[in-house]
Amino acid sequence: MLFGIDVGGTHTDAVLIDKEVGVRAYVKIPTDPDDLLGSIRGAISEILSQEKGVEIERFNLSTTLCTNAIVQDLLEPVGVIVSAGPGIDPHKFSIGNYYEVIPGGLDHRGTEIYPLDISHANKVISNLLDYGVKVFSVVSKFSPRNPVHEEKIAELIQDKADFITLGHKLSGQLNFPRRIATAYYNSAVWPIFDKFLDSVKRCLEEFKLSPQLNILKADGGTMPYNTAKRIPVESIFSGPAASVMGIFGLCDITEDTIVLDVGGTTTDIGVLAAGVPLIEPENVRLKERPTLVRAMKVKSIGLGGDSAVRVNGDKIEVGPKRLGPCMAKGGDVPAFLDALNCICDETYGDKDASFKGMHKINENLKCSLEETPIRIVEQGCKILKKEVSEFIDEINERPIYTIHELLEFRKIEPKKIYLMGGPANILKKFIEKEFGLPVVVPEYFGVANAIGAAIARPTMQAELFADTEKKIMTIPVLGIKENISKNYNLKVARKDIQKNMSIYIRENLGWDIDLSELEIIFESSMNMVKDVFTVGQDIRVKCQVKPGICKDYENVVRCVCNR
Amino acid sequence: MQQVKNKLGVVFFPAFDWAISPTHPERQERLLYTMDQLKEEGVFDIPGIREYKPELASRQEIEKVHFCFPDVLSNITDSHLISAGGCIKAGKLVMEKKEDKAFALVRPPGHHAMKVVHGGRGFCNINIEAIMIEYLREKYGVKKVAIVDTDCHHGDGTQDIYWHDPDTLYISIHQDGRTLYPGTGFTSEIGGPKAKGKTINIPLPPNTSDEGFLYAMENVVLPILDDFAPDLIVNSAGQDNHFTDPITNMNFSARGYAKLSEMLKPDLVVLEGGYSIQGALPYVNLGIVLALAGLDYSYVKEPDYDPKKFEMDKRTMDYIKRICETARKNYFSPPQSSITLEKDGNWIVRNKEIFYDTSYIVERQKEYILDCENCRGVLKIESSSSRVKNCLAIEAPINCCEKCLNTAYMEYDKAKEKGYSHIQFIDRVNKKVLR
Ligand SMILES: [Zn+2]
Ligand SMILES: [Zn+2]
Repeated sequence: MLFGIDVGGTHTDAVLIDKEVGVRAYVKIPTDPDDLLGSIRGAISEILSQEKGVEIERFNLSTTLCTNAIVQDLLEPVGVIVSAGPGIDPHKFSIGNYYEVIPGGLDHRGTEIYPLDISHANKVISNLLDYGVKVFSVVSKFSPRNPVHEEKIAELIQDKADFITLGHKLSGQLNFPRRIATAYYNSAVWPIFDKFLDSVKRCLEEFKLSPQLNILKADGGTMPYNTAKRIPVESIFSGPAASVMGIFGLCDITEDTIVLDVGGTTTDIGVLAAGVPLIEPENVRLKERPTLVRAMKVKSIGLGGDSAVRVNGDKIEVGPKRLGPCMAKGGDVPAFLDALNCICDETYGDKDASFKGMHKINENLKCSLEETPIRIVEQGCKILKKEVSEFIDEINERPIYTIHELLEFRKIEPKKIYLMGGPANILKKFIEKEFGLPVVVPEYFGVANAIGAAIARPTMQAELFADTEKKIMTIPVLGIKENISKNYNLKVARKDIQKNMSIYIRENLGWDIDLSELEIIFESSMNMVKDVFTVGQDIRVKCQVKPGICKDYENVVRCVCNR
Repeated sequence: MQQVKNKLGVVFFPAFDWAISPTHPERQERLLYTMDQLKEEGVFDIPGIREYKPELASRQEIEKVHFCFPDVLSNITDSHLISAGGCIKAGKLVMEKKEDKAFALVRPPGHHAMKVVHGGRGFCNINIEAIMIEYLREKYGVKKVAIVDTDCHHGDGTQDIYWHDPDTLYISIHQDGRTLYPGTGFTSEIGGPKAKGKTINIPLPPNTSDEGFLYAMENVVLPILDDFAPDLIVNSAGQDNHFTDPITNMNFSARGYAKLSEMLKPDLVVLEGGYSIQGALPYVNLGIVLALAGLDYSYVKEPDYDPKKFEMDKRTMDYIKRICETARKNYFSPPQSSITLEKDGNWIVRNKEIFYDTSYIVERQKEYILDCENCRGVLKIESSSSRVKNCLAIEAPINCCEKCLNTAYMEYDKAKEKGYSHIQFIDRVNKKVLR
């Protein structure tokens, strides 16, 4: 059985899924932001009280712990040590309170152009240790091409630090400033996340459970306990990805599709291209700093149930600000949800308060009182439509580097909308009208995020880079660096990356992965020419295990929502 | 966080699946390390710098500029449509005020492609700057354009296209034609009879380094631009003046290129040549991007750059100063031609022989320009090449007077009787191309 749990900002959702019957139990409880572990414990005990004596195979957790720690600045001081070489002044990428640049540099092919100043590095390190810095991040420019400088610096710190993040181990993508930010945050959240993971493990033991513990990532995949302890930063922003994975699991989608998850303060927009969730190797921003965290292509916009409604001239404005809860929940300012509350048959919280809010709005409007909530909801849908189409345009504008791709380019054109979140059922017909597209509200939409977490599988991406002139091959994230022959070619490279990834996945993720799941998403082999002679090949291969759902559970969770 | 002064759009298209031939300088690998450098520097994450993909130029957009024989499609591949389309995209970004400046970092290049096209010259088949400029003229009504060509080779194609156009100022700084392909671009080349002084050539001696280039910028290019006051400044930013370039002999540096861009303040920049794909392009392109956006580029430096090695001696600098003085005069007081123009009735005639080194074709042209008092005059070219013989080209330019337009149509009707193998008539007044 699978246990999926999504500890979100306001709610903690959990589900228990059985291989034979599908969803066996689910709960939704408020999250206590000061005690996430307590929320987890609460959800487990409620589920276990509904379903006694179950055997849980996998426990998949999506948590906002790291995101919160970053937003609230509850971060461990990190010694960030970088080496750069020519280009943009590396001091411009400074992050945290202990950012140090060590002389030394590599070029775009990983060739050392300035040697690393080891004595400078030693001085810097001992100073940082004196300040009481315990965790470090080491990043050099072009380290995915050659990790030598990162490794040399790490050697100097090794025995003196609690934790070290090496830039090249996070991603093989080239982007020095992102690598710095990602490595910084990885170390900065490590202590709090490490402790948290251990306590989750103990908590499971208290319930006499010993499942495999996995953490959900922003790309809609999972990582096991051990990996999560090494790259905690990957756990950020997993919530929206969990929702998209939920829809992906619940519904059998084959066309271009939009997923809208309407929450309290924001709506998350996700996109499935021909039924496959869109992933970006570099999507997540933390405190305005873009990172290399692979994430599902999701856009959050400031429109949710609690988004404040006001009148400006003769125009209704909804969001993006939240000024406390909606009036139905005791707030002072009419919000989007108050409008929805007034036009549906069911009652949410204090319906009279919502009506009061509509009165307030109506004072400044020319339309009738009855029309007021409808116009508010329509305005909200208009905003959604605009944001969605900008988002789709942005996706369709993505750069392309080959003639083949440019000529074969297929635009994303959504054909359907999947709607989830609290007010989904009321919003359905308005969204349908505004977008002119069929809208589906799937079964279990309220806990689709937890379902998504439960059925998610590991994901991974690795980049191989081979230079047959230098006769080296590297796969940075796997820490592989091998000597190769002059005859090394794309065919061998393809096999190499798939083989090494499958070994890694088997040994670290406990999954005997089928080769067909290791998808080559980019490959190139280019002649390197000196004067007029070919001196070697520059070979690049990117391979991914894309987000997917456990095959054993695919049929039982799929609902009949494609009406 | 780095703060840009100018919002910059970069249309980046490295065409990783296209080469003239596997080991040709114009090959797949050319922008590979430039891409790596730009990505590793996180350039496209800097708020205010955005990457765009190119669009495809259409056949019509090419036919508006070039006389292609036997036709457009037999002279180009998809890669040319994309690099021209990349320039058009860059132009649109600026004209529609989405960006303050735009850089078409595309390949293949175009500045050796002339008005008439029978094949490839100097790795160029169609002139991507000219296609962009004429598109912008037609779509947005841009009038005066200055093209500053900083490629190491003389942009003989661009010069040829705008030879008779007084509204397009073409300034080329390049290695002296006596020492480098295409062997033209001397100070005596100053534009056609109706556009004298609107073509300015600054041929610099081999081994010119930053000091010489920046002297020419400061003392010739900037004062001329100031006076010409163009609506749009386009930089044909070839990068083969770099001290590591394998096919040229100059000593310009990445920081020099950045400084030049900062001084020039172009609205649009188009990549031209530049074949030191490891030692120069990553740094030069980074320098140009940063300079255009108004960001600090003082840390951009080739690993092996030592300015002391490239200091210029006084004699060479004096020579450069003399060249610059001549170039200045060519604009501010263009000399009257000493040779009398060959005339055929009202037509001023020129005979030209053009060699297409990339396609290995020879072309002979007889070019006629109608001597009109009211406009720059109808252009007529009889062209024969080793590939296609007996072609005729007629163009009624964009601001052509009515009399000239009528003449152009009469010439076109007359030509149809005469048994040319191919005729192309560009009517820019009515935005039509007849073939
Ligand atoms: Zn050139
Ligand atoms: Zn005229």
